[in-house]
Amino acid sequence: MKIVVLVKQVPDTAADKRLDPDTLAVDRGAVDGLINEMDEFAVEEALQLVEKHGGEVTVVSMGPDDATDAYKKALQMGADKAVFLSDPALAGSDALATSEALAKVLGTLEYDLVILGSEASDARTSLVPALLAERLGLPQLTFASKVEVDGSAIRVNRLTDYGHDVVEAALPAVVSVVEKINEPRYPSFKGIMAAKKKPVEALDLAGLGLDAGSVGWAGSRSKVLDATVAPPRAKGTIVTDEGNGGSELVGFLASKKFV
Amino acid sequence: MTEFPFESEERRALRSAVAALGKRYGSAYMQGKGRAGEDSNELWLEAGKLGYLGVSLPEQYGGGGGGIADLVIVQEELGAAGCPLLLLVVTPAICGSIIARFGTQAQKQRFLPGFADGTERMAFGITEPDAGSNSHAITTTARRDGADWILKGRKVFISGVDNCATTMIVSRTEDARTGKLKPALFIVPREAPGFEYRAIPMELISPDRQFELYLDDVRLPADALVGDEDAGIAQVFAGLNPERIMVAALANGIARHALDKAVAYARERTVFRGPIGSHQGIAHPLAQAKIEVELARLMTQKAALLNDAGDDLGAGEAANMAKYAAAEAVTHAVDQAVQTLGGNGLTQEYGLAALINFARVTRVAPVSREMILNFVAQHTLGLPKSY
Repeated sequence: MKIVVLVKQVPDTAADKRLDPDTLAVDRGAVDGLINEMDEFAVEEALQLVEKHGGEVTVVSMGPDDATDAYKKALQMGADKAVFLSDPALAGSDALATSEALAKVLGTLEYDLVILGSEASDARTSLVPALLAERLGLPQLTFASKVEVDGSAIRVNRLTDYGHDVVEAALPAVVSVVEKINEPRYPSFKGIMAAKKKPVEALDLAGLGLDAGSVGWAGSRSKVLDATVAPPRAKGTIVTDEGNGGSELVGFLASKKFV
Repeated sequence: MTEFPFESEERRALRSAVAALGKRYGSAYMQGKGRAGEDSNELWLEAGKLGYLGVSLPEQYGGGGGGIADLVIVQEELGAAGCPLLLLVVTPAICGSIIARFGTQAQKQRFLPGFADGTERMAFGITEPDAGSNSHAITTTARRDGADWILKGRKVFISGVDNCATTMIVSRTEDARTGKLKPALFIVPREAPGFEYRAIPMELISPDRQFELYLDDVRLPADALVGDEDAGIAQVFAGLNPERIMVAALANGIARHALDKAVAYARERTVFRGPIGSHQGIAHPLAQAKIEVELARLMTQKAALLNDAGDDLGAGEAANMAKYAAAEAVTHAVDQAVQTLGGNGLTQEYGLAALINFARVTRVAPVSREMILNFVAQHTLGLPKSY
């Protein structure tokens, strides 16, 4: 089977991020970029499916021209080839514009399955999987914690607040995965050395035949109007146990609706 | 940001992959295994499976086809995560380099694939009770008996013998022409009759223990001799540069680990007003330690690149200097990290106290700082020999 995995390069979650005051977008130049953590689970799932059923994994990424670490990591883990869409006019794309560009890239590829992470750690909208499925006219199986492929059918466990639903669809389909699904492998030394010889197709908007006005700042329907720095975390409550520590803790948890 | 040339894209990827693996194990794993008297084979085997142990070994024997420079990255990153593998110095770096360069075809096929994937470990025995650093005074001898060899002698401070199926023993044989003794290396199975090993009680918290070896007329087949009988001295030197470079890498890794812990603590810990890291009494010594570690890393990388380029002489000088600098840097960095954490620096919980002796070892082994100073005085500066 042919699987396409979508990966995004995001600012290191451990680093202090700051917003560009003019665009109110994350200042990507100020921090190291790396593969969105949840996308590693998507890559792992694709590799496992191909190890089981045969086929190939193509990784697709979109971002600024130096945002190459994400797809390279996927190639090091074992993906067969990469497609990298980069164009200055893509800067500022919201989820809707991003899904349009990605759908266009997918239109140039053959695939039975599209896998991606459920959300990116920077924007955290969780919108792209559903938007993409809609644009492609494919079934969407989101928040998957388990994926099984049987012939032309796919079945996933879809994580919910109360447990999971079992959802089935016919291939091709779009699946977004959660961290519970697997344990991503570390790139082996051979994988690292082999990655640089793998084919990478570089695309821009002209090559894709996509109008610059439909993506980027121009093509985005949502706009960040204002941003404020998160206030420093308030001091925690210290419970001194005078025999009532247990009930105080439970009271706190109940007040936050944890119990 | 422009990367330093040593850090190729592949090396950066290797660094981040090994760092991620090391993070999953960490210092609590390593020190816990050491305290329990257990081995760290789980980490060893996982690293082997990922090809990290074999990065420097030839591709045709299952290795990664890289160099000691790549193995330096593996060791440094595991060290920085708090879980350095001492036998990385021994099996792939010393024994692997020697066998890859000088072993017979059969020895390469027999040992290198297992070194590369972690399934085969080999210890290295050179130091003797009466010879110490003086490899010319080695008294372990090998004599012929028909096609066989008979080995007799003693070794001390040999790492990991109990966990290695074989040990490479540096001994001496009689030159048939001159009657003089010359070095020859033999691969001795742990279970060979007459081969005894006893753990030396050390004040070190490490899964890898130190041993004293007794070779009491150990009979070995002809193919136990590494490569050619006449290449012994070149073989020893082919192993010693990687050894020094890898000990330096281990020291650099531990130093980074200790500094990371100290800096994280100094940022958070608040006494009086502001974090203690805002006081120069805490900040400057940590900055100084950082500079020393970075300089040691630079020399370690230089030595590794010279070694991989086949410049044994140039690598010898750089490897000695790197080992010296790294040992001094790690001893200072760990000491300063403990000082930064105060009482916490000496608790088990923070994992720094266990590093004090471990770091200190690198000043003594595999060659003492004094012997390196002798080497630099004599060979680099051209001063008269003192001994």
